[in-house]
This record gives sequence, structure tokens and C-alpha cells, in this order.
Amino acid sequence: MIRNSLRAIIGIGCLLAGVSFAHAQEIKIGAVLPITGKESKIGGAYKQATELAIKEVNDAGGLDLGGQKRKINLILLDDTSDGAKSAQLVEQLCAQEKVDAVIGGYGSQLVQAQSVVPERYGIPYISGGAGARGIYGRSKWVFGTLSPVDVLSQTQMDFLSSLVAAGKLRKPLKIALITENTEHGKDYVQGIHDYLKAHPGTFSIAVEESFELYAPDFKPLLTRVQNAKADLFMADAHLEDFISMQRTYTQMGLTHQMLTYGARGSDAAARKALGPATDYIFASGWWSDLLPYPQVKAFNAKWKTATGAEPQWYHATAYETVRVLLTAIRKAGSVKPDAVRSALASVELKDSILPGGVLKFTSTGQAVLPFVVTQNKPGDKVDIVWPREAKTGDPVAPIPR
Amino acid sequence: MSSLLPVLVNSLLAAGLYATMAYGLAMIYGVMRIINLAHAGVMMLGAYATFTLFTRFHMDPFLSLLVVVPLFYFLGVLVYRAIVRRLPRASAGPSMESLLLLFGLWLVLQNLAYFIWTGETQSILTGYTMKSIEVLGVRVGLPLVFVFAASAASLLFLNLFLRRTYAGRAIRAVTQNRDAAWLSGIDAERVSAAAFGIGTAFAGAAGTLMSTMYAFTPDFGRSFLLKAFCIIVLGGMESFTGVAAGALVLALLENAVSAWTPIPTTFQDAISFTLLVLALVLFPKGLPGLAAGLSRKVTAR
Repeated sequence: MIRNSLRAIIGIGCLLAGVSFAHAQEIKIGAVLPITGKESKIGGAYKQATELAIKEVNDAGGLDLGGQKRKINLILLDDTSDGAKSAQLVEQLCAQEKVDAVIGGYGSQLVQAQSVVPERYGIPYISGGAGARGIYGRSKWVFGTLSPVDVLSQTQMDFLSSLVAAGKLRKPLKIALITENTEHGKDYVQGIHDYLKAHPGTFSIAVEESFELYAPDFKPLLTRVQNAKADLFMADAHLEDFISMQRTYTQMGLTHQMLTYGARGSDAAARKALGPATDYIFASGWWSDLLPYPQVKAFNAKWKTATGAEPQWYHATAYETVRVLLTAIRKAGSVKPDAVRSALASVELKDSILPGGVLKFTSTGQAVLPFVVTQNKPGDKVDIVWPREAKTGDPVAPIPR
Repeated sequence: MSSLLPVLVNSLLAAGLYATMAYGLAMIYGVMRIINLAHAGVMMLGAYATFTLFTRFHMDPFLSLLVVVPLFYFLGVLVYRAIVRRLPRASAGPSMESLLLLFGLWLVLQNLAYFIWTGETQSILTGYTMKSIEVLGVRVGLPLVFVFAASAASLLFLNLFLRRTYAGRAIRAVTQNRDAAWLSGIDAERVSAAAFGIGTAFAGAAGTLMSTMYAFTPDFGRSFLLKAFCIIVLGGMESFTGVAAGALVLALLENAVSAWTPIPTTFQDAISFTLLVLALVLFPKGLPGLAAGLSRKVTAR
């Protein structure tokens, strides 16, 4: 009887040891995403892409760490699009779950709230959903794959300059600059100002205004734009404001030689809401499924097989965020926080699907990659029109009246 | 610098939209002394109901008012009977319990919308959404003209209803003195339920009208609610003509500041709130109170 009990105890002990050994072999990655709440659309997309990237590695036997394959255990939490909760969940992952690294959320506001936590615990943190410059450079543990918004607006200025050089637009050109009153909007404005300072002579600002998010009436603002008689209309807006503003813009009969809403333009929701009123709008994006790289074509096919839908830019950045983190862990050869952090700081993902094809981080921890500029064409067609080497169609400029 | 006519036309049309948002809030406050914090949630629900009717049954948004208004009236009566009537009644002003309860209701409605329609941005595109017409030489969006017409019709309906029908007179009686109305044989509970229903129906209708102009998510309505508060304070909280006048004053001020001053348009909300504070301090009974006071002074002289 006593012997049998001893055997049972030893057996259970071995089993538990085995389980804990197996857990020790896992790489624990935490993620806090806005899966419900106001950011749920893109938050849900980030979840989908994060899970796919991790599933691919696990299906291949795990991540190769010093010659040993180790499975990845993803602990994914929903912050309900609430900044305070978001930071608290990152804290929970670091303190209670003892994760090896954290993948951050979507939206500069939420990521800003999260980004103060990794420093306290010394845990590597990477986000694929925040482009505001202010988030980075304050902690050596924080990394981000979204390029800064001021680079977005500068890319648009490069594109417009190329149109002037090609004789499609005639200088001098006056800009109506309209942006949302957020970090995103301020970075956009900063990018334009920096560009104008560095490239004087061609462009000037005729009117510069900002607006609060979800503004009820854009008529007063657009009346100022109308009175300014600008040649180019450059705005930076969230999807809802883009739709409302472009509706008022069209109803007022405003026309400009070129028209952009920053990163907005080719979104399916906007085209559904605005119809042909989105034609010829140009937009800058962190990614496009039209990029002519073989790895992008492979990703598009893989994504379509896995989900049955076309990939969007946020799927690509979320996917690459996981890939670059896992590449850094592999390069570090261990999950020791310092080693992973150092590896992230020096990693180069050379087959990246993001524009430029190579994903690496600057000294602030933020990736600075080129943007693609797309232009909507009639019949729901979209072309990459900038940079030249990636273009799938010629830009139409000025916009036909 | 803009001339006077465009400012007047734009202000008048914007006032139509603003008044539509505020009628329901004024009705509920007038009868029950309750600030309906769930108003934005009901407007959002009205927008989604219209969206569903448009996408599922191809019903024109303005035609869908025929469904939304009665549906939301019954929803309002139901909410009143289920929860609002259980609140302790405060004669001096809105009780803390009512504010908390209706704020909670707003959160429930928001989460319900996330559950049913997800957080994806939705919108309604009709054949006239992008169309515009010239009004006194000023180009204006057709949906806004329709919204203005609906708002003017609502004002007319409310005034006729409150003055010419027994139910309307009963609502006015309860608004003026609930206990005296009760002593005169008016069933104040029933009147309150009907007023909450009418207020909810107007909020739903406002959601329908706004869905023709804006894209929306379950978060929709927050910024409009703040404007609606400002308007009912200006309008005197109990008079619908006052509400319409308050909406016009706010819209005029916003458009005039934008057209004739260099103040950035991002201060539009600051204008609303400055006006709100000024109204509360200088003429707490709103524009009707101010007009009555001025008229008394003129008569005394």
C-alpha cells in the first residue's frame, strides 16, 4: 500500500516536472491589443495577423534557439481600447505572466500608455501600431515598426515635387493644410514644415488649420479653405472625419490640383461612403499589397489562403512586428531580456514585406521606412504612384475637373 | 472675408441640425428634470437602425423615419417603465442617481452596438448624399437641406402638439407643476412615460438624420451631445422655440467667428462652452428668460 502510494507520488512528481520542463522550453510572448471597443476593427486585424505569424513558426516545429526548437506560447489580452487598462495589462504580463517579450497594441494613444511599463520590468516591447515619434527614444526597451507620420507627409511632398519636376504641376503651389488636433496631425504638419524649410521656392502654405476629432460641422473650416484659393489640399484625418469632410468638400464644389487626407484614401469603408468622390485622392501608406516584391506576393497568397480576404496594411505591419521580434530572439540565442533587446536594436529583417524590403530600427527604437503613395483611380482602381521603382501606374495630375 | 449671406445661410442650416439633436433632450428635461446622458447613445442607435434598414431593406434614410420614430417611442416608454420611473424624484434638478443611471445606459447601448455592428466605421451613401443645391447663391449639401426641413417640421409639430392636443397640454402642465397637474386629474406617470418616449423618438430621429451626413461607429454622438447641452441651456431647457433659437445663436456664432475673425476653427467647441458658461451666469433661464426680462424692462419704462 505504502509502496503503491510512493510510486504514485513519484509518478505525479515526474509528470509535473515534465510539464514544468515543457513550459520552460516555451517562449512566452505577451500581447495587449484593442480587440473590442473603438479600435476593435484594426485591433482585431492585428490579433489575426499576430496569431498567423506565430502559428506559422509553431507549425514548423517552433523557433530555433541555439539549435533547439522551442514553441511559442502567445498570451493575448484585450484592453477594450482603454489606455489605462492597456497599461495595466502590460504590467500584468510582465509581473505575473513573466513573459519574455511584449507585443504592443494599435493606436498611438494606447501604445503611449503601454510604453511606460517595459522600462519598469526590463522586458523588450515592440509595437506595430503607433507612428507618433513621441513614444520612442524615452526607453531603450521600446521598439516600433510603424514609420513616423512626419516621414509620411515628407514622402507626399517628395511625390508632389516629382510631379512639378515632370511638368504635371506648375510652381509656385499654395497648400491648404488641414489636420486633426492630435499627435498624428501635429507630426504630419511638422513633416510639411520641415520639408518646406529644406526645399524653399516651390511650395507655400496658404491656410493652416486644425480641427477636433469627430467635428460636427466642417463647413466653417472648408469655407476658409475656399477663401484661401490654394492649389493643393493636404489634410490628415481619421476615417470618420475624412468621410464627413470629403462629403462637405464635394458638396461645396471645391477643387484643387491635388488632394490628400494623409494615410486615408483607398480604405474600402471610405470608398463605400464616398463613391466616386474618392477618385484621384492620393494617400501615403505603411504598406500596399501592390508592392512589386516577391515576398509581398507570397504574403498576399498566404494571407488569402489563411483568411479568405485580401491583406490590408495593418495585417502586414502586425505580421512583420512578430517576425522581427522572433528574428531578434533567434539572433539573441536566448530569451534573456538584455540579449533580446540588444538583438532588436541591431536586427535587420532582410526579406521584409514592408516598403524598402529591410526592416530595422533607428537609435530611438522606431523603424524609419519609406512610404508608398497610392492614388485612387475611377472604377475602384488603386495604383502605387510613388516611389518610382514600385509604381504600378502613372499619377494623374492635376486632378481632372 | 466672407459676406453676410453665406454666413446666414450656413448658420441657418447648421441650426436645423443642432436643433434636431436637442429637441429630445429638452423634452425629457422639461417634464422630468432629468438630463438624459443616454441621449448620445440613442442617437447612435438611431443611426444604426437607419443603416440596417438601408442595407437590409434598401429603405431611404428619410423614409426610415416612419419606422425609427415609433420604434424609438416604444423603446423610450419601455426604458421609462423599466428603470427611469424607479428613480427618486428631485424637484430642484436632476438627481445624481438619474445621471449615473442614464450614463450607465449609454455605456450599455454602446457595448450593445459594438456587439451587433462591431467597431467598423459605417455610413450611408444615397443618390443625393454628395449632391448640392444653391440657396440664395450659396452652395449647400442636399442632405443638410433635408435635415433643416425635417427640423423645421419637428418644431412645427411639437408646437402644434403641445398647444392643440390634450396630451400636449398635459405635458405642458406637468412641465410647469407636476403636483398641481396631478391634483387636476392628470396622470403624471403616464405623461412622463409619453414624454420620455417622445424624447427618445426625437433622439432616434436625430440619429437617422445625422446618418445621412456622417460616418458613424458605436462611439458616435459624444461631440454632438455636448453641443446639445449648450443649446438647451441657451434655449431655456423647456421651450422648443427657445431650443431652435439657441441652436441658431450657436450656429451663427460658430460661422461668424470662422468667417470674420482669425480665431482657429479648432476653437469651435470652446465657443460652445464659453456660450454655455455665459448663459448659465448671465441668463440662467436661457434666451426666453432673457427676452422676457428685456420685455418687462421696456414695459416698465
